[in-house]
Amino acid sequence: MSDLFEFNGAEAAGWAQPEPMSTDAIETVPEALRRASRPAWPRASEPELVRHYTWLSTRNFGIDTGFYPLGSCTMKHNPRLNERIVNLPGIDRLHPLQPEHQIQGLLAIFYEMQEMLEICSGMDQVTLQPVAGAQGEFTAMRCVQEYHRECGQGQRNKVIVPDSAHGTNPASAVMCGYEVLEIPSGTDGRLDLGALRAAVGEDTAAMMVTNPNTLGIFEPEIVEAAEIVHSAGGQMYYDGANFNAILGKTDPGRMGFDAVHYNLHKTFSQPHGGGGPGSGPIGVKSHLAQYLPTPLVDREEVADGGAVEDGYRYFWRTPEKSIGKVQQWHGNSGAVVRAWAFYRRYGRELEKMSEHAVLAANYLRYRIMNPKEGTKVHAMPLDGAPADVVKHEFTLSMSPLKDAVGITGKDVAKRLLDYGYMSPTLYFPMIVPECLMIEPTETESKEVLDRFAEDFLKILGEDPEIVSTAPHTTLVRRVDEVGAARNLVLRHPLSDD
Amino acid sequence: MDQLVNLGRETEMLEAMGLSSIDELFSDIPESIRRMDRLPLRGPQSEEEIWADAQRLLGANQNLDSRPSFLGAGLARNFVPTMVGMLATRGEFLTAYTPYQPEVSQGMLQAMWEFQTMVSELVGLPVANVSMYDASTAAAEAITCAVRVKGRKAEQKGVVYVSQFVPPHRLSVIENYTQGGGIELRMLTHGWDGRVDLEAAAVAAGACAVYVEQPNAFGELDEGLLRLKEIIGEGTALIVGVDVVSLGIVEAPGNWGADIVVGEGQPFGIGPTAGGPIYGLYACGREYLRQMPGRIVGQTVDEDGKLAYTLTLSTREQHIRRHRATSNICSNETLIALMGAMHMALLGPEGLEKLALRVAATTEATKQAVCAIDGVDLVDPGTPNFRDFAVKLPAQAADAVTHMDASGVLGGFDMGEWWDSMSTCLLIGCDERTSKSDIEALVKALGAWIAEVEA
Repeated sequence: MSDLFEFNGAEAAGWAQPEPMSTDAIETVPEALRRASRPAWPRASEPELVRHYTWLSTRNFGIDTGFYPLGSCTMKHNPRLNERIVNLPGIDRLHPLQPEHQIQGLLAIFYEMQEMLEICSGMDQVTLQPVAGAQGEFTAMRCVQEYHRECGQGQRNKVIVPDSAHGTNPASAVMCGYEVLEIPSGTDGRLDLGALRAAVGEDTAAMMVTNPNTLGIFEPEIVEAAEIVHSAGGQMYYDGANFNAILGKTDPGRMGFDAVHYNLHKTFSQPHGGGGPGSGPIGVKSHLAQYLPTPLVDREEVADGGAVEDGYRYFWRTPEKSIGKVQQWHGNSGAVVRAWAFYRRYGRELEKMSEHAVLAANYLRYRIMNPKEGTKVHAMPLDGAPADVVKHEFTLSMSPLKDAVGITGKDVAKRLLDYGYMSPTLYFPMIVPECLMIEPTETESKEVLDRFAEDFLKILGEDPEIVSTAPHTTLVRRVDEVGAARNLVLRHPLSDD
Repeated sequence: MDQLVNLGRETEMLEAMGLSSIDELFSDIPESIRRMDRLPLRGPQSEEEIWADAQRLLGANQNLDSRPSFLGAGLARNFVPTMVGMLATRGEFLTAYTPYQPEVSQGMLQAMWEFQTMVSELVGLPVANVSMYDASTAAAEAITCAVRVKGRKAEQKGVVYVSQFVPPHRLSVIENYTQGGGIELRMLTHGWDGRVDLEAAAVAAGACAVYVEQPNAFGELDEGLLRLKEIIGEGTALIVGVDVVSLGIVEAPGNWGADIVVGEGQPFGIGPTAGGPIYGLYACGREYLRQMPGRIVGQTVDEDGKLAYTLTLSTREQHIRRHRATSNICSNETLIALMGAMHMALLGPEGLEKLALRVAATTEATKQAVCAIDGVDLVDPGTPNFRDFAVKLPAQAADAVTHMDASGVLGGFDMGEWWDSMSTCLLIGCDERTSKSDIEALVKALGAWIAEVEA
């Protein structure tokens, strides 16, 4: 069966449900409001659908399928225990509006996660409500905005971002009503303090920056950058997409940041699910804490030991000058519980996780950039930026290959699919020409990294014709994306009129 | 710790690079900001120990299935077909990311294209995206989208009318998302009977958009909404928030003038999960397509002319358009939308109708039984309800909830938490799983409280 809408069984067939409690329930809907015709959904049975979705799954590539070096996304292994845990009725069958005393176990987990993220980031208060990294950015910038307004600094309407920033940073700032001021990176790919000094002023609300930056390089002058922004009256926002690189080694608090978001779907292994769900908690310094979304979890000591027998009663608390809500409930609780289970595997050893992520990235970079003798390539890639060591990811420019034989970064990315790998992040950051951004994570073995480096170098020496027309072995070949955008077919034409 | 595949091989890997210690890999972090002590956290645990703790902590929660429960208020105590969880957690789906490489992501792309089709059919509009975070951000971003499309020609620049009966927690999200765009939210008033005041609605003609919900926060269906588009006119976008299950028996808003339809997808695909991950539905007319937020899948062909699917219209999105993007959304709720698609496909058109009738039947039965209690009155008598209904009590609803809780019944939601003026009102939520014995338990518990209050 090739698509869902080819299933069109008998009306009586399909998934069985109990009968309605009464036969005249339709009478509860005023006649004028009743649905005239049913949606043209498929008519299929469980046996057919299990096969359909199993078939579709075999046409999809995930971390479980193979190496997924998608830079900036931290595609690490997703422990299966976490999936088992979120199937427990004590999370799956909870309503966010249940009385506090009925959900003490959930609140205890929330509290532990708030505290753990505060410790790891050097922040004073964490909220778990934002449900994605971009929403975390938005939430934090809303808090910054209210803070400035409260301080009589409402004229601060500009947010500074480096030109290497993730696209969500400027987009989130604009959604708050800010103007974005993009500053060029230095020739070495790092923050240019001169450009920053020239950019700050009385209209500076904040600077949004990630460290290590999107080239995978630690910003050596981050403290100075924070001083420049602070002395101009602005706030420092830390994009936590690259948090996997620094846990236990340093933290945004020490670097001088006022607010930070975490991606529980990157650093803490919430599965990426083909595009989500994510979870994007934020942490802030105390001066911003009163603006956080409502509610936060707090606790008080109790004499009877409490419902989870740890000596506390947990409760929801609304920050004094809260911005209100960014998701209508308490965020992606299921993702928080998965992240909690992940955190428990490491505890204070989270530092080791970052060490191994950085070890893997440096090792792979070394293997690619230092080929074995006799390896033949048309041209070697260039480092996206000069650096003795990188953090959890690195960038390569394929420009020399393009100049030598016309093979682009995209060609190499597509050819990697033939070898059974997911492509690295392509053409980002935009400041590196023909960029491939590679992040192996701590859950890839030395053997996988060795093999990837070998295959990668092999591609650089292959017949350019084969590489530039790749992929050859995938279920479909290069897809006509221009055609897709010109001739929009966004649904099955069943009853589209 | 057992997730670290290269544990014990550090030296080997370092030596291959000509390094001698892990510390050298972090030498680029200035000493002044390096953490010298260990993270003050607990020790690592094994899978067995974590599982035991998870069972202990989550087991301390009282789940909705353990007692008669009438807590709705925007989430459904649904039954999710067993197939859904089993197939959606296949690693190929679960552990993939956004299908940027369509050649190896046809499975999820096709599943999302099929999802778009089912959502489009459900709400009666031609275009749907692959999900927003939840109903509230879907509503909020529908408003900002409508302002982008209608703003230029609108007589009331930047003005959007929002129904008075959108619950405050959803309204708060809308306020946060719209405050930066120069959008002014004004209230669309409802009459004494809970329905939208159609005469007053005329003020919205010429605004950028109107946002209403069907059913509203009280679970009330309002046939007057059928006339709303005609009243506000073509220049003003009509955005309707729906209960997705109700559309099995209630007319699709796309068929009565809605320009954008949003809603909480949760009843299809996933349990209430303490409020997330869930997913927002977002569908619109073609006029809004190029200004809409989120990912969209299109059908196309590959180089050999073979049918294929790919993400399309990405030039709206943040990773391409940066500060000029239509939204900052990147990660969304794709996996939950996939679960929703599986659930919808299992239901089929007749199953959907039956599901809606089951909810309608339990709502009506519960309403009848509760209203038969002396001292309990409907907030809006004579108004049809779907899933939720609101009743007035002789004393504080918070007190009633606590009292019923003590006798093992989750009796509803204290509406005073939403609106101070409604502190004696209880919102009672029903679902397809509400049983006769649940209703009996509710009536008994509520009756006992009233007897005590009135004694």
